[in-house]
Formats: sequence, structure tokens, C-alpha cells
Amino acid sequence: MDSILFLILRRMRAPLITLIVTYAISVLGFTLMPGTDASGAPWQMSLFEAFYVVSYTATTIGFGEIPYTFSTAQRLWMTFSIYLTVIAWFYAIGKIIALVQDPALRQAITVARFARQVRNLHETFFIICGYGGTGSLLVEALDRKGIRSVVVEITQDRINELELLDVQTPIPALCADARLPDILLQAGIMHPLCGGVAALTDDDHANLAVAVAVKLINPELRVLCRAEYQETAANMASFGTDHIINPYELFGEHLAMEVHALGTYLLHEWLTGTPGSSLPSPACPPIGKWIVCGYGRFGKAVIRNLQREHMQTVVIEADPQLTGCEDCILGSGAEARTLREAGIEEAVGIVAGTDNDINNLSIVMTALELNPHLFVVVRKNKRHNAPLFRKFNADITMQPADIIAHACLEHLVTPLLAQFLSMARGQSNAWANQLIGQLVETVGEQVPETWRVTLSGELAPAVVNLLGHNRTVTLDTLTIDPANRSLKLPLVPLLLVREDESIILLPALTETLRIGDRIVFCGKPDAKSAQPLLLINRKVLSYVMEGIELPDGVVWRWISGRHRHTAP
Amino acid sequence: MTCGPDMLYTAAIFTCIEDPAMNLEKVVFGFFIVLAMTLNFGFFIGDLADPEFHHPYELFAAIVVNLIATVLKFGDRTQIGAIHLSTSLVADLQLITAAVVWAAAAGSMAEHGSIAPSTMVSIVSLSGGAFLANVTSVVLLIIETIMLRR
Repeated sequence: MDSILFLILRRMRAPLITLIVTYAISVLGFTLMPGTDASGAPWQMSLFEAFYVVSYTATTIGFGEIPYTFSTAQRLWMTFSIYLTVIAWFYAIGKIIALVQDPALRQAITVARFARQVRNLHETFFIICGYGGTGSLLVEALDRKGIRSVVVEITQDRINELELLDVQTPIPALCADARLPDILLQAGIMHPLCGGVAALTDDDHANLAVAVAVKLINPELRVLCRAEYQETAANMASFGTDHIINPYELFGEHLAMEVHALGTYLLHEWLTGTPGSSLPSPACPPIGKWIVCGYGRFGKAVIRNLQREHMQTVVIEADPQLTGCEDCILGSGAEARTLREAGIEEAVGIVAGTDNDINNLSIVMTALELNPHLFVVVRKNKRHNAPLFRKFNADITMQPADIIAHACLEHLVTPLLAQFLSMARGQSNAWANQLIGQLVETVGEQVPETWRVTLSGELAPAVVNLLGHNRTVTLDTLTIDPANRSLKLPLVPLLLVREDESIILLPALTETLRIGDRIVFCGKPDAKSAQPLLLINRKVLSYVMEGIELPDGVVWRWISGRHRHTAP
Repeated sequence: MTCGPDMLYTAAIFTCIEDPAMNLEKVVFGFFIVLAMTLNFGFFIGDLADPEFHHPYELFAAIVVNLIATVLKFGDRTQIGAIHLSTSLVADLQLITAAVVWAAAAGSMAEHGSIAPSTMVSIVSLSGGAFLANVTSVVLLIIETIMLRR
């Protein structure tokens, strides 16, 4: 910022000096030219009057000949002045305005303003590099959850889109290359309140560069990266990237989950959804022969997972050499002939996984004509084709952006949620179904809020105080409505992590609490806002536990103390 | 004959001329700064209240040269450059204020004899302040030059 400002000042010297010199010459001349006043006596302009006349001449305002009509000599000088000063004035003003509008200066000002906005953030925020399909989904979701984000994006158009977005809190955004460490520093990776960085650009190498830069500059900061190729993912892992998200692998795993553990999949989707959306309707993929069109990274991941579930797969690929497909049918899948060759009549499901949306749609249209009972899984690449896919209403529509955004939310929003979900994946489908039933009963069908409660001195003083006096406090206490102790808050405890890192999945309400516990709750937004009262306010906590109202203030406490002494 | 800064600087400039790597830009810079100071001094010196001693054209010349000197000091990133610019701005401020006071108090040049002595005193004392700022600027210039020579 400083260097460009000084450069501008230097460049302003020539125009300004021209201006000063031409003005000086004109003013001097005017004072010297002989004139006559109203009564005919000889008169010469004073310096101030000359300056006044030259001012309105140079700026082409031209009031007139003041205070007396000019003599010939004065008019001669006036003519000379006009040509001299007007040209100098236009040159100088034009040059100065052009300098102030210098693009480098404006860029420097924009960056400085962005850095100042980031510095003034007073709450936890996340840095999101790349505002494409995934970035925009994530930013919107974070905003609806009330979490601040900072965006760095390389194309100006997308930043313009972000500016037009209707958000709860302003989002500092910068149009710059996120690979540059300077930009990352200004986006706040050294800020004490930065909660993490999500590298979500569509270029794996850019994501890698971001991960490397952040891990070297601030190793403690959490980094989530999107990686579509194994080599980049391995590279990122070697630098200690916290979470590497490969959308294709994740989708493959989700598909497998849907086949054998639908309940777990539903639980997963529901807990990581954006607040306000409802439970996804279950779509259970049938077991049998599957046709997969497209053997790219997506196709490979799907096939690997389907084969793990012991499903028979047939691959149709347009370019077997490029993708390394050994045993597949040549073709794009959009022609009926190729599909028949693959055995579409006996298949139970089809996966259209090419990277072209129109191709995918035409594949499934052709397939459905040949076999109307197919289970359709279609890959959606671009967000702007959403209306087409919505109208088509396939059984499963896979969008890489959605998957990555969900995965990011899982890791960023509630840190223990990811742990809970990975433990849930290890449980049986029946367990998941039971949990969903319990959750829907308590929380309703909308996507619930998840939050973490830490029993520490600053965050839960009332509870810690009681525990410090060796009183037992059970988990049940934290689920009671602070307004009415006979009612329960609409929330469910999902995970309890003790200070010694021992974990209890779905803790029972009779579980005793200890100082330093961390509990993940899932519930309605009102529950999330009402619960802190129990943790912080001693009066509320004692009302909820014992039903007595503790007196407030020194006077009443003294009176009630005396009462207790005098009463038998 | 006033001595002091002028003589010292002239000495410095002569040593400069012998140096084959003399910088034209530095000559111009030094010229305008010293000229600003000398014109300012020329206007300032003399009986404070008597208009005979203080010619308006000299004030005009002092203002013009001071403005040019200020513009020449733009864009210098060093600490000394910043102080140079600030002293110049102070001098400009004072001189322009003096000119405004004079214009407000007087009519055309023919009337300049009828300016009240108190007004003249204000004008000249303002220019005196500007003179001190210019002296500071010249002293800084000398220090800078001597440091470079070492």
C-alpha cells in the first residue's frame, strides 16, 4: 500500500509544478499591466485580485473583467494567460485524476480495506479459498448457522456474486490468488480467532499450495482440502493437512452406505445438512447387476464400493485407453445399442457418471426407455443445471459440491461431530435407525442444530461450581427446560468425551458429569439458546435441580439465612 | 550580510561540483529549498510594522518558490524526506495565511500604504514563522548532505 502511494505522489510532481509556475507567471503579469479605474486614473491590480482573475480564467469559469473594465494591455495579457493557464490546468487535473484512479492504487486500497475488516473480526471465523460451487454452498450454510467466514477467490465475477448475496453478517472477500502466502496472511491465518482454512478451489495444485502455506506458517491451524487426485492427496497428507476430501471417494462410500446401511447414511446426511432443510427421503439402492457409465475417478470409486458390497458391475466407457479400463464396453452409454450390449434389461441400477451433465441425462433417459424399473444414480457437475436435474428427479443425484460442503461442515462446525459420525459408521444399521427414530421424536424432522458443551470454569461456571463442591450432577439436569422444570428441552446428547479422552457414545441421562467433560448435543435451535442458562446461572441450575429458588442479592440472602436459623 | 547556513551550503555545493558523479536532480532540489528560504528571509527582514520594508512581490515570490519546493519533496519514503515535507507544509501554511490576511485587509496595490501597522505586524510575523520552518528544512538538507559525503 505504501509503495504505490509514494509512487503516485512522485508522479504528481510534474503536473503540480506546471500549475504553480503558470499561475505565478500569469498573476505576476496581471499585477504589472497598467489599467484604468472607473474615474480614468491609472490603476494596477493587486496580487490578490490578479490571483482571483487567474483562478477563474484557468478553470474556464470566466466571470468577467473585475473590478474595472480591462485596458488593452491587460487584455493582451489576459489572452496570453488564457492559453497558458487553461492548458496547464487541464493537463494537471487530468494527470492527477488519472493517477488517483491508477489500478494498482485501487487494488492496494481494496486489499488494505479487506485486511482491516479481517483484523476487526471478534468471533471465530473460517477462511474459504475458492468461491465456486462448493465454496458458495459452504458459505451459505455457515452463514445460516451464524458462523463468520472470509472468502478469497481469484475471479472477480464470483466475488461480485458474493457481494449480491443476502447474508446475516458481512463477509470480507478478496479477489486474489489464494496461493500467495501474503494473501493468506492478510486473510487472517495468524489471527487468534481463525478457526480453520478450507481450500476448495477446482485446481488440486492450488489447494495443495494453500495447505502447504498454512501448515508452514501456522501449523496449529486446521486445514481442510479438496483433492481429486491421489498424488495431490498424498502430498497434502505429508504436510499434515487435517482433512483431505475427495468427493468421488466419499460418494462411493456413501453409495455403499446407502446399500447396506441406509439408516447410517440418513443419520449422516441429516446431522450435516444445512439448518432448515428436512430429512432426506430414503432411497434404497437395490442389489443386483449395476451398469456404470464413465470410468473416471467417480466411476472407479463407485465400482470399487459396489463390488465391495458384492454387486455385479458392467462398465461402459467411451475412452478405455485414457481411463485405463480393461474390461469394459466401448461406447458413451447414450445409445440404446451399447446399453443392450451391457445387458440393461437384467440390470437393477444405472450410474451415469461422466463429467458432462447433458451426457449423463441422455444416458439415463435412454436407459429408462429400455428398462423403466431402473434405480437411477446420476452425477450433476454444474450448479446451473440444477433445474434440469430437479425436474428429472433421479433416485440419487450426486453433486461433488454438495458432498464436499457437507464434509467441510462436519469438520468445521462442531469438532466432535466428525468423531461421532465416524463412530456411528461403525455401528449397525439397526442402531442408526433407532437413533433416527429417537431424534425425530424429540427434535422433529428439520435438520437439527448440533453444538458442543464444555464443562469448564469459563463456559459452565454454575455446573463446575456444584461439581467442585462434590455434588453429583447428572446429564439429565442439562436436558431440563430452565423455564419449567417439569418439561424437557428438545435435545439429545450424542457423545460424551471425558477429560481423559474416554468416549461414551449416546450417553444415558443418568451419566454423572465431571469437570472437563465435553458433550455434543443435537436439538432444536431454541434448545441450543436456552441451555446455556443452565450452565451459567446458579439460580436457574438450583431451581432445575431441587426446585427451590435461591434468593438474589445480599439483603435477601441474609434474611433467608436468618429464617433458616430461626426456623426449627 | 547574513551568513551561516548559506555559506555552509555553498561550501558543500562546491565540493559537489568537483565530484564527477554530481546529480542534477539534487542541484535543483537544493536550489529551490535554499531559494525559498532566502526569499522568505528577504521579505521578513526589516521593521516589523513599517510596510516600506516588506514588498508584496517578495511575498508572492516566496509563496511560489515555497510551493514548488513542497511539490519537489513529494514521494520521498525516508524519515528525513518526511520531515522535509512537513517543514515545507508548515512554511506554505504560514505564508499563504499571511497573503490571505494581506488581501483581506487591503484593496488594490495603490492603497498598500494605508494598511494598518498592526495588520502589517501580523503579516510579517507569520512570514517569520515560515522563515524558521525553511531554516529547519535547510539544516536538514545540510545534515543529509554531510552524512552522504561521509
